[in-house]
Amino acid sequence: MRERPIRRGFVREAGLAIAPLLALLAVLPLLYNNQLLLLNAVVFLVLAQGLNLTYGFSGYLPFGYVGFFGAGAYGFALATLHAAAPPLAAVLAGGLAAGLAGLLLAPLLRLQGAYFGLASLAAAEALRHTIANPDLEALTGGPYGVRLDVPYAPRLTYGLALAILGLTMGVVAFLRHSRFGLRLRAARDNPISAATAGIDVVRGRLTVWLVSATAAGLIGAVFAWSAPTFFPDAVFDISFSIFAIVFTLFGGAGTLLGPVIGVAVLYGTYTAIGVSAPQYFQLVYGLLIMALVMFFPDGLAGIRMPWRRRDD
Amino acid sequence: MLTYALLTGLIFGLYFGLVGLGMNLVFGVMRIVNLAHGDVLMLGAFTAFWLMRVAAVSPVLTVIGSFVLFFAIGIPVYYALVPRLQRSREPEMLSLILFFGLSQVIEAVMSMLFGNNERSIPSRILGGGPVPVLGQTIPFAWLCAAAVSVGLFCATYLYLYHTRLGRQTRAIMAQREEAVTIGVDVNRVSAVAFGLGTGLAAVAGVFAPFMLGSFTPSIGVPIDLVSFAIVVIGSLGNPLGTILGGAIYGVCLMLMRTYLSSFADLLPNLVLILVLLVRPTGLLGRRVRHA
Amino acid sequence: MTDAAPLLEASGVVKRFGGFTALDGVDLTVRRGEIVGLIGPNGSGKTTLINVISGLLPADAGTIRLAGVSLAGLAPHRRCAAGVNRTFQVPKPFASLSVRENLEVAALDGVDIDAVLASVELDAHARRRVGDLNSVSQKLLDLARALVTRPSLLLVDELACGLNPVELDRVAGRLRALAAEGIGLVVVEHLMSFIDSITDRVVVMNAGREIFGGRLRDAVRDAAVVEVFLGAPEPAAA
Repeated sequence: MRERPIRRGFVREAGLAIAPLLALLAVLPLLYNNQLLLLNAVVFLVLAQGLNLTYGFSGYLPFGYVGFFGAGAYGFALATLHAAAPPLAAVLAGGLAAGLAGLLLAPLLRLQGAYFGLASLAAAEALRHTIANPDLEALTGGPYGVRLDVPYAPRLTYGLALAILGLTMGVVAFLRHSRFGLRLRAARDNPISAATAGIDVVRGRLTVWLVSATAAGLIGAVFAWSAPTFFPDAVFDISFSIFAIVFTLFGGAGTLLGPVIGVAVLYGTYTAIGVSAPQYFQLVYGLLIMALVMFFPDGLAGIRMPWRRRDD
Repeated sequence: MLTYALLTGLIFGLYFGLVGLGMNLVFGVMRIVNLAHGDVLMLGAFTAFWLMRVAAVSPVLTVIGSFVLFFAIGIPVYYALVPRLQRSREPEMLSLILFFGLSQVIEAVMSMLFGNNERSIPSRILGGGPVPVLGQTIPFAWLCAAAVSVGLFCATYLYLYHTRLGRQTRAIMAQREEAVTIGVDVNRVSAVAFGLGTGLAAVAGVFAPFMLGSFTPSIGVPIDLVSFAIVVIGSLGNPLGTILGGAIYGVCLMLMRTYLSSFADLLPNLVLILVLLVRPTGLLGRRVRHA
Repeated sequence: MTDAAPLLEASGVVKRFGGFTALDGVDLTVRRGEIVGLIGPNGSGKTTLINVISGLLPADAGTIRLAGVSLAGLAPHRRCAAGVNRTFQVPKPFASLSVRENLEVAALDGVDIDAVLASVELDAHARRRVGDLNSVSQKLLDLARALVTRPSLLLVDELACGLNPVELDRVAGRLRALAAEGIGLVVVEHLMSFIDSITDRVVVMNAGREIFGGRLRDAVRDAAVVEVFLGAPEPAAA
C-alpha cells in the first residue's frame, strides 16, 4: 500500500496531545510519591491504547488481550532466568514473545465478533494454564510463580513505560491520520467491499494485531521488571483485559484521548474506592459497562456536544 | 480406568450439555452471547444450597422451583436489555460486553452478600448412595444430574417441535427477517426463549455443587468459557446439538483427567479454539481467508 | 498481456453451494469497450458469476482470464489491482467514512477523485457521512469507488433499480462513456429498456447455465428464453 506523506493531523496530535501527556506523566513522580500507582496507571494507559488499536481500527475486541501482557511478563522472566539476559534485552524479549504469540493466534482473525472475543480469551487462558502447569515448574516456575533477580530501577522502568506509551499513542495517531488507517476503518465498516476496492484486509488487520500484541508484551515485560516476584494468575488476570476494554469504551474507541480519559477517570476512581473494597468496585464497574453499552456505545467521544463540530 | 473415564465422561457430558443448552438457545434465537449464563448457574447453585441444605426442601421441588423462579426472572431481564441491544450497531459484539457487565454485577452482589467462601452440599441430600454401573461405582447425584439433563433435552425437543411457540422459535432461529414477515411476535418468542435459557441455567446450577464439588460466587466466567466451548462443538445456534457437544467435551475431559491430569484445565480452551478454527462460523470466516 | 486476447475470458465456470449448483459450466467473454448485458430470472446465477469473477467466491472449476492472464487463486484485492472491479446489488459503502474518503481509500495515485465524484454528481456531498446518503446516491458512490481504481473490467450488479428515468438516462450515458474509453462492462439488470439502451449483446442465464447469447431483440423471440421468463414476465420488457 502506498503511503501518502503523513498528514498534518498526525503532527498536530503528536505535538498537542501525546507530548504534553508524556511531559505531564514525566513530572508527576516529583509531585506524587506513590510510584507504583503511577506506573500501574501508565501500564493501563498502554493496554488501553493497545486495545484501542485493534478494536478502534479493525473492530476486533480481544477479551484475551491480557494474554499478551502475560506473555511479555513471562518473556521477560524466562529471558532473565534462563538466558541471563540484561533487563533491557529481556524487555525486548517480552515484546517479541507477545508478538510471536500474536502471530500464533493470527488465525483467530478469521473469526468474527463474539467468536473472536471468546476465542482470544480461551487462548489467553490456555497460555496461563500452560505456564502454570506444575509439570513445567522447572521451566516456568509453574503455579508457584517466578522470582527474578533484576536490579530495582524505578526511574528507568517508569521512563521505559512512558516510552512504550509514547510509541503506542504515536501508532494510534498515525492510524487516525494516514491512508493505512483510513483503509483499516474502511475494512472495519465493510470487509467485503474493502477487498473489492483493492484493500488487503488481512494484511492490514494482521499488522495492527501484531503491533497491539507487541505493545502489551513490552509493557508486560516492564511490569515484570518492576514487580520481580509474580504468579501466573496475577499477570494473566482477565481483569487486565476488562479494564483495558472498559477504559477504551468509556472514552471512545478509535480516538486518541478517549482511552486516556478512561484511565484517568476510572483508574482514579478505582484507586480511590477499589483497593479497599474490590466487590464494590466490581459492582460499579459492571453497572458502568452495562450503561455504556446501553446508552453510550461510542463512549464519551460519541456524545454530541452542541458546541462540537462534526468532523470525520 | 478406561471404562470409568468413558462412563463418567458420558455422564458428565450429559450434564455439560445441560450447562450449555440455555446459552445455545439464547444465541440461536437472539444472536447474542449471554456471558451472565455462568452467573445464573451460580445463582442456581446458591438456590439449591438454601432450599435443599438450609430449608430441607425436596430435590424435586428444588429443581422445579429454581426453574420457575429463574424463568420468571429471565423475562423482565430480556425486556430490559435485549430489545435495546438489538437496535445497536453490532449487537453480537456488544452483547458480549453488556452481559459481561451483568455477570460482574451479579458476582459482586453475591460476594458482598455471602462472601467468597467455597460452599458445598453433601450428595446424600439427594438420597441414595453410590450406584454400581457396568462394574463401576458412580455417585447417585451424578446419575440424577445426567437423568435430569436428558429429561430437559427431551422437553426442549418437545417444546421446539410440538408447540406453537416452539415452532415460532425455530422459525426465528432459521430466518429472523422472514419470521417477522409471517407475523411471528419476535419479542414475545425471544423473551420466552430467554426465560427458558435462564431457567435451564439455574437447573444446571442446582446440580453444580454435586458435579463440581463446590462453588463460589466467582465460578461464572470459567463456566461461561466451558459452556461456550460446548455450544460451539455441538453447533452454535442449534440447541439440541448441545448434547453432542457436552458428550464430546465430557469424555475428553475425563480422559484428560485420567491420563494427562496436569493439562486438563487447558482442554476447554484448546477445544474451543480448535473447533472455531476448523469450522469457522460467520460469513467472513469463509470469504476472506487468512493466508 | 496480449492485446489479441479478449479482456475477460471465463470458461466452464462451476460454483456449487453444498448440493446446489449455482453455476454449471458458464462461459463469458467480454472485449474491451464492450457492454455485455447479463439477464435471467432470480437465482439464475448472475450475481454468483460476478462474485466469482471478482474473487469473493472461489470457483469450483473453470478458468477466468483477464487479458489472457489467469486470475485463479487471486484474492479480491489482487483482482482489483489487476483491473477487475464491481458494484454491489445492495450498495456496500464504508458507512463511517465521508463520501470523499470512500473514494480516497480505493483510489490509485493520480486519480482525480473530485472529478470522479462530479461525474456521478456526488461532489456536493463530498464531506458528508455516507450513512446519511439515500440509496440511489449510495449506488452511485459504489460506482465511483469502482472507477477510482481504474478498472479495465467493470461488473455492474443491478445499478438501475430504484433510479428515476432522468437518473437512468444519465447512468446509461456514463456507462456508454466508460465503454468508449475502452473499459469492458458486464451489466446485470432486470430493467430491459435500460439493458437495451446500453448493450451490444446479452447473455441470458437460467439455473446456472447460459441459455442464450446474442442481441436482446433476438433474445425476446427465443423459445427457451421466453419459457424461462414466462412465469414472471418482465413488465419493462414489453
